This record gives sequence, structure tokens and C-alpha cells, in this order.
Amino acid sequence: MSNQIAILLAVLLFPGGVFALAFGLAMKGVDRRVAARLQSRVGPPLLQPFFDIIKLGFKRTMVPAAANETVFLYTPLVGVVSMLIAAALVPITSVYAPDAAIGNLLVLLYLLMIPGIVLMIAGSASGSPYGAIGFSREMALMIAYEGPLVLIAAAVAIRTGMGMGGWATFSLNDIVAYQQAHGSFLFDPVMWPAVAAFCFFYPANLGIVPFDIPEAETEVLEGPLLEYSGPVLALFKIMSALKKVVVLSLGIVLFFPAAPANLAAGFLVWLIKMAVLMLVGITAVRLSMGRMRIDQAFVFFLKWPLLLAVASLAVVVVV
Amino acid sequence: MGLIPDFKKIATRSPWIYRINAGSCNGCDVEMATTALIPRYDIERLGCQYCGSPKHADIVLISGPLTVRVKDAVLRMYEEIPDPKVTVAVGVCPISGGIFRESYAVLAPIDQYIPIDVNVPGCPPRPQAIIAGVARAIDIWRERL
Ligand code: SF4
Repeated sequence: MSNQIAILLAVLLFPGGVFALAFGLAMKGVDRRVAARLQSRVGPPLLQPFFDIIKLGFKRTMVPAAANETVFLYTPLVGVVSMLIAAALVPITSVYAPDAAIGNLLVLLYLLMIPGIVLMIAGSASGSPYGAIGFSREMALMIAYEGPLVLIAAAVAIRTGMGMGGWATFSLNDIVAYQQAHGSFLFDPVMWPAVAAFCFFYPANLGIVPFDIPEAETEVLEGPLLEYSGPVLALFKIMSALKKVVVLSLGIVLFFPAAPANLAAGFLVWLIKMAVLMLVGITAVRLSMGRMRIDQAFVFFLKWPLLLAVASLAVVVVV
Repeated sequence: MGLIPDFKKIATRSPWIYRINAGSCNGCDVEMATTALIPRYDIERLGCQYCGSPKHADIVLISGPLTVRVKDAVLRMYEEIPDPKVTVAVGVCPISGGIFRESYAVLAPIDQYIPIDVNVPGCPPRPQAIIAGVARAIDIWRERL
């Protein structure tokens, strides 16, 4: 019973729920502010994403005549819930360890696919042609980046499992514990291809500029989100904020969970790593690149990240 | 009940802007784009953000004299913007037709068709004037929330 309550608290308060939401929105605020400063603008206040969410709460929700109302209004909820649960699965070294029953890498991979699927369903349920284009682009992009992600995860799992004397382990706690004992994978040359592949993967998964093709506002007018307004649009914003926390945090767990054993210091180190991942991998990339075409992105992913991921898997299995 | 007014006040710090070109010569549009984007006038600091979809918008900036051909499209687009919304007419074109005023193809003044809350005259208006117009629009919007 007590561990059910613990799981519930993890989903609703920390590190999921309230904390992940606040942290994700704050990261977005910092991202926008830093981006503005890099363009020598003043930029919005740091709390701008919070204002946006509150503002959307006051707006009217419109359902287009061509839309399927139930699907249109309720799919974003599925996305938010899946991300809340996902946030509770990811350990934070020496701060939080998920319950052994749920802290599984495979479960996390499945949960991470849900926001993409939600966007696809939402786009097609809205009955708008732009939503349909967004749908097909999102699907192409997902096919392109899910493969490398699974291979990366497998490489990490096998490396950990073999290190611990078995074959593969998907327990996130074990992955963290193994790296705490034997050094992070980031400094292990065998894992470098996987690290590189992950660096390509996460901007695509988060829809950051070179890969924000499904939601490109200049060509398909935000694609799946085009027809959404008011509180339901806020749900999408919340979903993507949560997803950012989950994906970045997953990157830390997979490759660089090293942190001091002390609670406060561990948390601080986690915050610093998140900030670095975000500023380097999101803000800088976003500002310095233009958007790819969907075919370019597709070919790109099937070439480099997939190759790197396959290479890392092969190397891990052989070495 | 102190919370709702507080939230409303916070909400007005996030006006999302949508541009409708009702047949403008593009002078006003360029002026609006630079007002929002270039470092010097950066209106993102007011929390503004251009959005690609009319359904996300709070403040609508309309430029141009409303030509006969775009009238239906403009009216339809205006309908798509969820309440509460505020309309700002940019340039003299929406007010009187500006340099196009005697044309048979022009339906200005635009407020016969769409309720206009703020007029920003000028051909094209200065960026400062557009920003002042947006700031006025935010005040009006606060009362409507
Ligand atoms: S007001 Fe002047 S600049 Fe603006 S659209 Fe009309 S003619 Fe062009």
C-alpha cells in the first residue's frame, strides 16, 4: 500500500506532476530569454510560459465543424497523463529513485512515443488539411527517430547488463547504480556513438527547430495545433513542457548520472546538467539552424543517427 | 475571490498577436514584422508572440483597406479568433482607404465590417506607434477578460 502511495506522490508531486510542470515551464522561459539575449533583444520575462498557460485558461475553446469532438478534446489529456507518469519513472541520482515496479526503460520508451501519437491523432481529428499534413510529417519523423532511440536504449541496457554479469538490464535504477560504481558512459569510448546518436535524437523528439517540421508555423501553421484554442491548447503546451523534462532527464540517466551522494548536492548537479543540455542542445541549435524539409530530416536520421546507434550496439555486444 | 482578478492581470501579460493583411501594400506589414522581431523594438518583452494560427490569437492587427476580393476571407478569419479578442487597425488604409481611397476595389473604412478597438494611423505608422497601439489593446483586453 505504502509504495502505491509513493508512486502516486511521485506522479503528482515530485519528480512528476507539479515539479516537472513548473520546471519544464521555467526551462522554456529561460530558453526564450537566452535566445532573445543572443539576438541582442530584451526578451520576455522569465515567467512568460506560466503567463501563457494562465492566459489560455481564459480563452474560449472552439471545436471546428469538421472535427470529431470527443477525440479532438480528450486526446491531449492522454498525452499529459502519459508524460506525468513518464516523469515519475526517471531517476535523479541520489535524489529520487523510482519504485522498482515502474522504473523500467522499456516502459519509458513506450510512454515517450505517446505525445507524438497524440499529436498525430489530434491533427487528424481536427479535420483540417494542415492538421493532416502535420500528421503525416509527424509520422515520418517518428519512424525516423524511434529506431535510433531503441537501439541507443538497447546499447545502454546491454552494456549495463553485461557489466553486472547478466545479459541486458532495463531497470533504470540499475543503470544509474552501475554507472555510479563504474563511471559514466559519457566517458566510456565504447558508448560514444550512442551518445552522439542521442544528441541527434532529442532535438527531433522535442520538436526543436531543425526538426520542428510537423509544427512548422510558417508552412503548415503549427500543423496539428492549428485548430486548438484556449485550455486545450494549454494542455499541449503542458505536455511539451513535461516532455522536455523527461527526455533531458532520460539523457542524463543513460549517459551521465554521476552525482555526489548528498541530496542537495545531487539535486544541484542534476539542475546544472539539465541547464547545460538545454542551452547547448536546444537554445543554441534552435537559433543557429534553419528548418529542414521532411525528406531531408528523414534521410538524415536514417543515415547518421541510425548508423551511429547500430555501431554502438554492435560495439557494445562485441566488446 | 481575489485569485481570479489576479490571474486575469497575469493573463494580460501574454498577448499573442495575429496579423491579417486585408489588401495592404505591405508597407504596414513590414513595419509590423520589424516592430516585433528586430532587437531594437522587441515587443516580445511585453510577452507578445506572433502566432501562425488565428485560433491562438488574442490581439489582431489588421492592415490594408479591405479589398473586395479579400473581404470574405478576412471576415471568416476574424470569426475564427476565439473571444476575448481585441482588434487593432494599423495604417491609414483601414481608416479611410488611404492612398487607395477612391478605388472601386476597396471597401474602407474597415469598421463597417469588423469592430475596431484601436486605430494606429500613419502610412505606414512608426514602430513606436504600433507598439503604443498594442499596449492600448492590452489595456482594453484586460477589461474584456
Ligand atoms: S497605410 Fe500606407 S503603408 Fe500601410 S498598407 Fe496602407 S498604403 Fe500601405
